Amino acid sequence: MTQSTTLTLRPARFGMLSAITSDKGAFFGLIVLGIFVFAAIFAPLIAPFGPNEADPMLRLGAPGTAGHWLGLDHQGRDILSRLIWGSRLTLATGIIPVAVGALIALPIGLLAAWYDRAGGWILRGMDVLFAFPMALLAIMVAAFLGSGVGNMMISLVIVLLPYNVRVVYQAAVEQKSLPYVEALRVVGTPVRTILFVELLPNVASAAIVYATTIVGSMVITAAGLSFLGLGVQPPGAEWGIMVAEGRSVIFIAPHVAAIPGLCLSLLVIACSLLGDGVRDALDPRIRASFGA
Amino acid sequence: MAKLILRRLFGTLPVLLGVSFVVFVALQLVPGDVARTILGYNATEERVAALRAILGLDRPILVQYVTWLGNLARGDLGQSVALGVPVLTVILDKIGASLILMGASFALVLVFGLLLAALSGGHHRSPLDRMIVLLTLVFASVPPFWLGIVLLYLFGLQFRLFPISGMYDMANPGGLPDLLRHLVLPAVTTAVSSLAVVARVTRGRMIDVMNQPYIMTAKARGLSRPRIVYVEAVRNVLPTYVGISGLQIGYLFGSAIFSEIVFNWPGIGLQLYQAIIQRDFPVVQGAVLAIAAVFVFGNLIADLIAAALDPKRAT
Repeated sequence: MTQSTTLTLRPARFGMLSAITSDKGAFFGLIVLGIFVFAAIFAPLIAPFGPNEADPMLRLGAPGTAGHWLGLDHQGRDILSRLIWGSRLTLATGIIPVAVGALIALPIGLLAAWYDRAGGWILRGMDVLFAFPMALLAIMVAAFLGSGVGNMMISLVIVLLPYNVRVVYQAAVEQKSLPYVEALRVVGTPVRTILFVELLPNVASAAIVYATTIVGSMVITAAGLSFLGLGVQPPGAEWGIMVAEGRSVIFIAPHVAAIPGLCLSLLVIACSLLGDGVRDALDPRIRASFGA
Repeated sequence: MAKLILRRLFGTLPVLLGVSFVVFVALQLVPGDVARTILGYNATEERVAALRAILGLDRPILVQYVTWLGNLARGDLGQSVALGVPVLTVILDKIGASLILMGASFALVLVFGLLLAALSGGHHRSPLDRMIVLLTLVFASVPPFWLGIVLLYLFGLQFRLFPISGMYDMANPGGLPDLLRHLVLPAVTTAVSSLAVVARVTRGRMIDVMNQPYIMTAKARGLSRPRIVYVEAVRNVLPTYVGISGLQIGYLFGSAIFSEIVFNWPGIGLQLYQAIIQRDFPVVQGAVLAIAAVFVFGNLIADLIAAALDPKRAT
């Protein structure tokens, strides 16, 4: 406990790094995520085959087939290569909506916190979105927008909006009551300067912490939408759609569905361990209350 | 308490109204002409115009909403484009199966969530605690659509312990025992990640409670360890436990959609999936509306139970 208290007194960057490297779970998460990100960036260099390069003769080959470590899928495509190429869309569809959602929520949450009346309406609007199970709303919006990566990400941003706005709103309301904001007001600082120059940096950290804790569940939701056929389309390589394709050959070649799902689970574990680490490092109070 | 129930019940009205509005407006997200999208590009112009008139798409949006809401209040959710029957019939036909699946999953979440929390949080830092923490981390991270396939393969195809599809045996339907056998795998698939979340959050509270003075007193009085953990401490984590369990209802609905698809469970999630593939938008709207309504009332009940359990909140 004392350790994390002293950490927050240091500049956040150093505190974060040392807190994460000293937290075994978070460190593991960082390494795993690092490997996947590396695979995504350097896919053309490290993938043995192209994502849609098929060898129909070796269709459904089991892991260990010569030249194909992790086996081949129903079209004879190398699973390892598709995993490596697929890490790009899997990571992108999980992470980009979280980042975009946080960015959009910042001004909305700030304005809602500053202007009470408008804020009340905004919050009530968000309450309505809270009344939907997250996955359900994402499925509905994605289904109506039409399948595709872009539309899927838009639907995820919409689904995340109420959660992101609430986090920003709460942080902003807390800041608003602090003396420095009162002082800024007294000297006649324009509202937009107060909100977007003075308040923003203090509120952003809450938004970032929240974002890191939900990346994992967004990765699952995004892959789930692709599994349903609402996100990445065939022949695109993405882990959710790879599981869906493997499902059709589960009776004869279980590895086709098993391997991408395993990677997906590992990625989500890494994200949540890292997210917990970031949260503990930035906000020791939560650690105290959850005792994680 | 009665006053609280009434007030909360009344409070759900605007939320339900908002939900209906969102479900209605979402249809506007469909790019281009909804009727054309539903019927496809080979349909004749007359058929498209006819469907547009049936769906009321030729009128101003607010008029459309008010009409739609009026019909909704009378239980008319429109016609299924693919099945040619009223949407309400489709929903009522399927919602029973979904509620059975949800009920079974929620029971698993409640029982195992609290059990794992007490076993781990009551014995903080023990080997068992560490094991449960690791287990729940994995459980919370496994995508439901993949877990379903893995369970289907292992327990359905390899060990042949459970059936892998549907609600009853096609050839030889056998009442409750048959239903329960079909229920195991989909219910576990649906429950696992929520169960893990409930266990983790409740465990955190459990650790706090175990450090409180009254537990110290109980120890000093010489109460047995099991009595302290499973009676004295558990009693005080109940509000947290009920609260977090209530929040899981939404996630359960999300996971249930996937396990219904994987296990061919004839519920509203599977229907939703088929409606999406068939572009049967009225059924999509109806299914979403039905699930959201059940979700709102589920949350309401969970809130009321939490309030009843916590004397400090029941004001």
